[in-house]
Amino acid sequence: MAWTARVTLRWRPSSWARSTARIGPRIWALRNCSFRLPPGRIAALVGPNGAGKSTLLHLAVGLLEPDVGTVRIFGAAPFDGFETAHASILADIGFVAQDTPLYADFTAAELLTMGSKLNRRWDGTLARMWLAQLGIPPDRQVGKLSGGQRAQVALALALAKHPRLLLLDEPVASLDPLARREFLQALIGSVAETGTTVLLSSHLLADLERICDFLIVLNDGAVQLAGEVDVLVADHRQLIGPRDPGEHIQGVATVVRASNTDRQSTLLVRTDGPVTDPAWTVHDVSLEDLILGYLAQTRPQGSHTAWGVTA
Amino acid sequence: MIWLAWRQFRKQALFTVIGLAVLAALMIPTGLAMHHSFDDLGLPSCIRALGGGELVPAASESCNSAFRQFNDEYRPVLLVAIPFIFLPLFVGLFWGAPLISRELEHGTHRLVWTQGVSRRHWALVKFTLIGGSTLAVATGYGLGLSWWLNPVSQTGSSRFNPLGFDLQGVVPIGYTLFAVALGIVAGTIWQKVLPAMAVTLAGFVGLRIALTLLARPRYLPPETLTFPCRPTPRRTTLTAETGSSPRKSETRPGTWCWTTRRPPAPRAPPPAAPVWTAATTTC
Repeated sequence: MAWTARVTLRWRPSSWARSTARIGPRIWALRNCSFRLPPGRIAALVGPNGAGKSTLLHLAVGLLEPDVGTVRIFGAAPFDGFETAHASILADIGFVAQDTPLYADFTAAELLTMGSKLNRRWDGTLARMWLAQLGIPPDRQVGKLSGGQRAQVALALALAKHPRLLLLDEPVASLDPLARREFLQALIGSVAETGTTVLLSSHLLADLERICDFLIVLNDGAVQLAGEVDVLVADHRQLIGPRDPGEHIQGVATVVRASNTDRQSTLLVRTDGPVTDPAWTVHDVSLEDLILGYLAQTRPQGSHTAWGVTA
Repeated sequence: MIWLAWRQFRKQALFTVIGLAVLAALMIPTGLAMHHSFDDLGLPSCIRALGGGELVPAASESCNSAFRQFNDEYRPVLLVAIPFIFLPLFVGLFWGAPLISRELEHGTHRLVWTQGVSRRHWALVKFTLIGGSTLAVATGYGLGLSWWLNPVSQTGSSRFNPLGFDLQGVVPIGYTLFAVALGIVAGTIWQKVLPAMAVTLAGFVGLRIALTLLARPRYLPPETLTFPCRPTPRRTTLTAETGSSPRKSETRPGTWCWTTRRPPAPRAPPPAAPVWTAATTTC
């Protein structure tokens, strides 16, 4: 399975597009956005607000159409206009949108009925079992359930499709820590049995570190980093050493981020061999450090003039 | 998909049925009263006599007073009927406008368009259900209103005056379908329920006013045909007031005459001079 997306949204600028000064009809919401997601992984899609995470997921599920470039899910384009072929790809994708939209006046049981009517492949027993374990009342309108319970109902709807690919757009953002842990545990337990590929976007780096084995960093509408978590963590090192060394350090491929104090420099580097220079102390990095290092690379440009203040 | 469409639609359908029932409860008694007094005053035979041109002066007097009495009693009914012009708008507001805009406003399109049915299928089922229900409701409404207004429009002025025309026959059905379609389009463009409803309201009312005030006066005028003809000994060519069906003149086979004037006193007409004027709006 491979994705390649290069996208501009002419008809609805993304939040990213609006946050920059260059508001216009043709702003690239996503570009240079190629990656392949191997099957069977739990992949994290991280990036700051407005980086294009939701846009990417909506492209993958066919809610948006790329203006330029292609998106391929299992080798087929998810956006197929309004053709019926669209439905056959949708059958393989489970999608939980941001803020877990559900029909607020439906009960959980009615939503499951809806799922069974709208999907050819549907495991109602699994969904009912799931919701029963979580103690979610079947005959109560979902608008009156708590945010965590709604998220669980939405996940149950997506899982009952037995999808080959599960896309989750910030599923745990509105949950308290306990509900978040329960949700993620349930998710892992469920996909471990079926071998489903999962792509979830989130801001909660600690959670991601616990469950994900593949990482995609999206920043400023472009994919900055994509790869296996183990490999990425093994490749990156934190170096602490003298200020302004000036020359190339042996074993360092690229410097991702450098922060300097008066006396010393801290570098996040991608290595291509052992760093043996005695001037530098080498530390392993956590996934969180790694992600933060990449995200800090591109800061949004200031809009001081737009706000009428001096920089 | 049909299950989902009906599940989302049933509350609106219920309210509409209740509304129509209330309307029927008001209109059936008044309609029956109107029909009864129409019959009691002997107006059906008067109208038949008008059509046949067999009105003798004595009957004409009694018919005239009957017409006057009926009109005095039920003319105000037409004023009561004015709000009915805008009832189709409510169907557009509450069925049409939220159909797509509610999904987009609440974000639930992301739920339903990512299930296993294509958007074309979804739209087809939704539009068919709403459109079919609209057609059924509007047909019932239009037929009921036509029945209710029938005595008034038979005794009153032209069936083609704005009020009478807009409330009877296929016209309410057309307007209801139009209001729903306008609501759906507005909801698709504005993507929020309230703005979509506001646009539907403004669009419908604006179009009604524009049609009545600007377009209708500019329609082609009724075609006026003048031709000579020889009256037969029977006074059969006199036709009724507008409102009754046009009658075929016996003097000129194949020609439709529809006039509101009595023919002049029988005398030898100049051969090529126009004698009758037939306004053939519907011919």
